[in-house]
Amino acid sequence: MTDSVIDPVDTGERRRRADAAPVITDLIDEATIQSIAEEAWQALVGEEEFLVPLPGDAPDDAVSSWVEIVGPWNGAVVLTVARSTAEELARCLLKEHAPPVLDDEDVEDAMGELANVVGGNVKAVLPGPSVLGLPEIGAAPAAGSPADTCRVDLLWRGQTLTITARGAAGAPHDPSELDPHENEVPL
Amino acid sequence: MRALVIDDSRVMRRIVAGILEDLGYETRQAGHGREGLDVLDGGWTPNLVCVDWNMPVMDGLQFVSAVRSQPALRAMTIMMVTSESEHTQIVRALAAGAHEYVIKPFTADAIRDKLALLGLLPEEVAL
Repeated sequence: MTDSVIDPVDTGERRRRADAAPVITDLIDEATIQSIAEEAWQALVGEEEFLVPLPGDAPDDAVSSWVEIVGPWNGAVVLTVARSTAEELARCLLKEHAPPVLDDEDVEDAMGELANVVGGNVKAVLPGPSVLGLPEIGAAPAAGSPADTCRVDLLWRGQTLTITARGAAGAPHDPSELDPHENEVPL
Repeated sequence: MRALVIDDSRVMRRIVAGILEDLGYETRQAGHGREGLDVLDGGWTPNLVCVDWNMPVMDGLQFVSAVRSQPALRAMTIMMVTSESEHTQIVRALAAGAHEYVIKPFTADAIRDKLALLGLLPEEVAL
């Protein structure tokens, strides 16, 4: 007998699990994000610049820059550093083209470009097609589920640098978060 | 040799323009595709345009298509300089009319190597 058998206890959970949006930790790991960041740092910040995978003290005056990714995975790639670190990064990016006094736009622009480069290369690793947003600066966007966050704590020149790929707040990731009645049609 | 650098990031414009100026290029900069077209419409014709992909107002792909629709500008070399690194995106850019594609992050040597491939290194640098 090869007749298909309908499971009398099929709750549909397996189908819902397969349909659920992927979480970032299924798609990329900390080592890959660190590798992407190291490549960006050595190309843009300086050939002799290294990122050390150690957590530092959380800065009091944190500056965050990020790019959003919209596709099979929805979220943002966020870089967070202290204000003084952001200024130092901007000077490194601009090298001899840096003005004597950096203005806020230079610092924000440099942070935005680093987020753009890191985020763009993270996007390339994720399943596509995905769309990359324009860089933004300010208070980082709200994080979604902790299970949908990949965080890398690094030190650059002894200063704290945190990179997180975080799912968009409100996006259902855990099948248990899905409304089990969402797709049901009333009889 | 002249180059137009189009990127919404002022920092990135300075980096790319700085590399090109070190190679002997005279450069101009624009913050998005529309501004880039304004420079060209103003009669300043570069040998090379380096253009980012993701920008407000007019993105790089729209800029490439707009330039390629103008017969007078078809001889101009366009190089996309962008963090869009997927193969499908590279194919889209080349199909739209870009000649070369540089993925961010890049080094000055990477830009120089691409220019050499395109035959756009100023003579005194190429020697």
